[in-house]
Amino acid sequence: MSARPATPASPKNHKVRAPQPGQPMYGCEHLQRLFNQDQATTNTSIQHYRAILRSIFDTNPLIPQTAKAIDGQIVTSLTPTYLCLQCPSTLTEDDRTKHGNKKSHRFYVDSRSGALYCQMCDDIVWDPTFEELRLKKIGTGTFSMRKRKHEELFETSDPVRDNPAYISTNTTTASCKSNGLRGIYNAGATCYQNVVLQSFLHNPILRNFYLSDGHSSSTCNVDYCLSCAIDDMFQDFYSLENTNGYTAASILSAFWYNQKKAFEILVATKEQDAHEFFQFLAEELHERNGDGKRPEIGSEHSCNCIIHQTFYGKLQSTTTCQNCSGVTHQVQSFLDLSLPLENLSHKKGKKSASRGLLTLQECLDEEYIKSDKCEYRCHNCSSMQQARRQTSIKRLPNVLSIQLKRFEYKQGRNERAAKIDTPVQFPLELNMLPYTNRGRSGGGPDAGKENYELARSCTYDLVSVVVHVGEIDTGHYVSYCRVGDQVSTRPTAPDPPSSSISPPDPDDIPISVEPRGQQMGQWFAFNDHRVELAQKSDVLNAKPYLLFYVVRSLS
Amino acid sequence: MASEAGETGKAGIIVAPDDAPPLDKLSHAVLDDLLYNIVHDLLVKVHRDEKIARANTAAIKVEKLAKNTSDGATTELKPDIEIETDAAIYKDGRVALKGNPLKSTKEILCSKCHLPRLHHPTDGKGAKKPDPGVIYCKKHPYIDKPGYDIYGQTWVAPGPGRGKKKKDQKLDPGDPSSPAPAEGGAKDRASNVLNFPSATCPKCKRCILVTRLNNHMGSCIGNSGRTASRAAAQKISNGSNGGSQNNDNTPPGSQKGTPRPGSRGASPRKRDGDEFDEDAEESDQPNPKKKKAKLNSLNKKVILKAKASGAAGSSKKDKAKGNSHLNVEQKAGSDAKDSTVQVAPKKQTPKLKGVSPAKKLKLGPAKPPLPSPGSKKGKREHDMESESSETMSSPPPR
Repeated sequence: MSARPATPASPKNHKVRAPQPGQPMYGCEHLQRLFNQDQATTNTSIQHYRAILRSIFDTNPLIPQTAKAIDGQIVTSLTPTYLCLQCPSTLTEDDRTKHGNKKSHRFYVDSRSGALYCQMCDDIVWDPTFEELRLKKIGTGTFSMRKRKHEELFETSDPVRDNPAYISTNTTTASCKSNGLRGIYNAGATCYQNVVLQSFLHNPILRNFYLSDGHSSSTCNVDYCLSCAIDDMFQDFYSLENTNGYTAASILSAFWYNQKKAFEILVATKEQDAHEFFQFLAEELHERNGDGKRPEIGSEHSCNCIIHQTFYGKLQSTTTCQNCSGVTHQVQSFLDLSLPLENLSHKKGKKSASRGLLTLQECLDEEYIKSDKCEYRCHNCSSMQQARRQTSIKRLPNVLSIQLKRFEYKQGRNERAAKIDTPVQFPLELNMLPYTNRGRSGGGPDAGKENYELARSCTYDLVSVVVHVGEIDTGHYVSYCRVGDQVSTRPTAPDPPSSSISPPDPDDIPISVEPRGQQMGQWFAFNDHRVELAQKSDVLNAKPYLLFYVVRSLS
Repeated sequence: MASEAGETGKAGIIVAPDDAPPLDKLSHAVLDDLLYNIVHDLLVKVHRDEKIARANTAAIKVEKLAKNTSDGATTELKPDIEIETDAAIYKDGRVALKGNPLKSTKEILCSKCHLPRLHHPTDGKGAKKPDPGVIYCKKHPYIDKPGYDIYGQTWVAPGPGRGKKKKDQKLDPGDPSSPAPAEGGAKDRASNVLNFPSATCPKCKRCILVTRLNNHMGSCIGNSGRTASRAAAQKISNGSNGGSQNNDNTPPGSQKGTPRPGSRGASPRKRDGDEFDEDAEESDQPNPKKKKAKLNSLNKKVILKAKASGAAGSSKKDKAKGNSHLNVEQKAGSDAKDSTVQVAPKKQTPKLKGVSPAKKLKLGPAKPPLPSPGSKKGKREHDMESESSETMSSPPPR
């Protein structure tokens, strides 16, 4: 148990979480006794708990999963082990009681979830102090650091504003019934808008932005401002008790009033592409909330607006000249990743029997791991040369939106647009590390804590799926969104996961013990004004068109 | 593992017998452990939610009790008293648990409104009747019932005879469970059956039924001339290689929901029900709203007519409807108030009422022969034909 430092150099006294109304102060009577012994006991208990959480979530799972039995035998198990809070032992479930009786140690941490087990209650206890630490560890990977960054970003730290009384008098508490779950009426072939709006409504970053008055519609002077319309929609969804569908009249009119050449084609009473609408909405909201500059496609554009902080990441393409081996880098911003399906499904169809079945990771591999040949004008050789071009993700966004190119225009004799119906398997939890340039730049041998932190910062959880049913020229959009129960104590800073450490060797991580961050929340199916419960299997069996993943260290 | 569940919904594990080869035993043990972990994770999550909710309930209860006991004397400060319930102790403004809240506390109070939570949905899967004597927290468990949404709501199916166009019926094309037009209509329409709402157009301030909002805004805000010409151009190009299949705005998918004229003829009872429903709807919908919608379609008709000259296949359906509305409008002019009660037999009315022949010139051929058992396609062709020869056709005989 060398991984667990006995005494981290932290001189300050740890405090038990201040009592909250409507919440007991301690998880159980026995913890109460522990915390009330003296400050030293409280300090060591909290320090130990932190150390145990670090060893569970930041190190190779082999360490917390390996227990030493009373008779000295060392056992590594797949099933949870129990880490003693009062001494550095790891025990199997059977030995837990023996250890407790022998040493009078009564508290243990479950190695899968980090939950605290109290032997005297013979039950898992959820203590507010410990639970706060655990959620922070799962959510952000640290115990306290990020919160400050968030405040800098979102609030000018105003002593008046931080006063709870000020908050309670100036904000409205939403009814228990209002939870953001409402349908949106189809105003005549507007289902392509509804699905994108639903994915915005259940996007935690956009929700927090709009609900914290990020765009104040009362002070905005722009006529038919789309951001105001979106603001109104968020207010309606999260503060009214209404369960009937929402009529997106203001959004629709803002849309019709909008004069944007690039998206002129969208402004029509016919069925449109949801992805184009997503792009339109993102651009428009960026202009309303950001620096006002048009984001140029293909260039590096940085902006502090909510849309850029939410959706935009950066791609880096590296071109290596085959003649002089000169390397050029080019960085571009991206709003979403567009993954072609057609070629891949053909290629795969030839190779394997499982024709037509793709996974999202295969599509990502194709675009962001494999390199392709191209012609380019090399500066060194000052002539056209063969070159290898490789694209990877330089900066991951907080919300990763992926478009699967299901609609393609077929060239050739009978030119026509076609829909590719290939099923694509997609995970609830997506690891983007292999597609980043850090993930690619060689695996150093110094595996350790940093690797797990890096892997966590690149872990995404599925939050919305947009599905198109029907044909190319006509059909219907439905969407699935995951709602609620997110592991969130407080929204953390939407700063992109950025650290420059080598990736872990995938073989290091036993797959069986991997999914330690549980995905919580309930899935709902949105079909215009109709909202229904959905099972995870319904979601995963859908044929996705757009996928929205939110970074783990935020959700 | 998951595939074990298969179609039966039951998972089965093949237990390795004692004399099995080592690999079999090992696989069995690994599978066993993995299943254990899945169950463990699920249980920890459920346990967490439940136990925290119960512990908080115990705290809320004892705090309430403390507040009631101190009774207003110290409103701001925490009452300096000691209160004990079965589940918790209140002392020095702090709450400590007594025993395991899973055992000591039975109900769950909402942490926001302090009302008891309803544990079971009121309808659908796993439903239980709530205690009528209890005021529950407004956050109810979601309802899982086919044809209903999570709040147990359903919608009045937009169907013919309710003044809705066919192209408005694209609500649930992929969803076979979308409720068929209710037969009984008003009689058994419960409070959870909702009508489609209307919204005000920000430009013309008219009240438009939501399903027509986009079309309305397209013509009202969307600078119709420009859009119309583009749409027309597109239509022409579509028409040249796409064939006549999709010449109109209505996607084939959306037409599924429409009862075919033929089927309607086959079940006269249903038709009756529809008409009955129509009446009922009239009674609970304010009259002016309908009129406005009609005005709107009148308005639209003008536009459509304008572009019809340019575009061969512009949406005849709109036109047909526009005309038929105009028709009703006319009638409404003649016998003002109960205009919509007779929507169903309206195709006869032009013959009976004194309508100017100029109007009828167009009305006659364009109106869909509703009770005819002909198929949809046949109907469309008929429409097209009639449209092309529209101006030349003589007024139908009286």
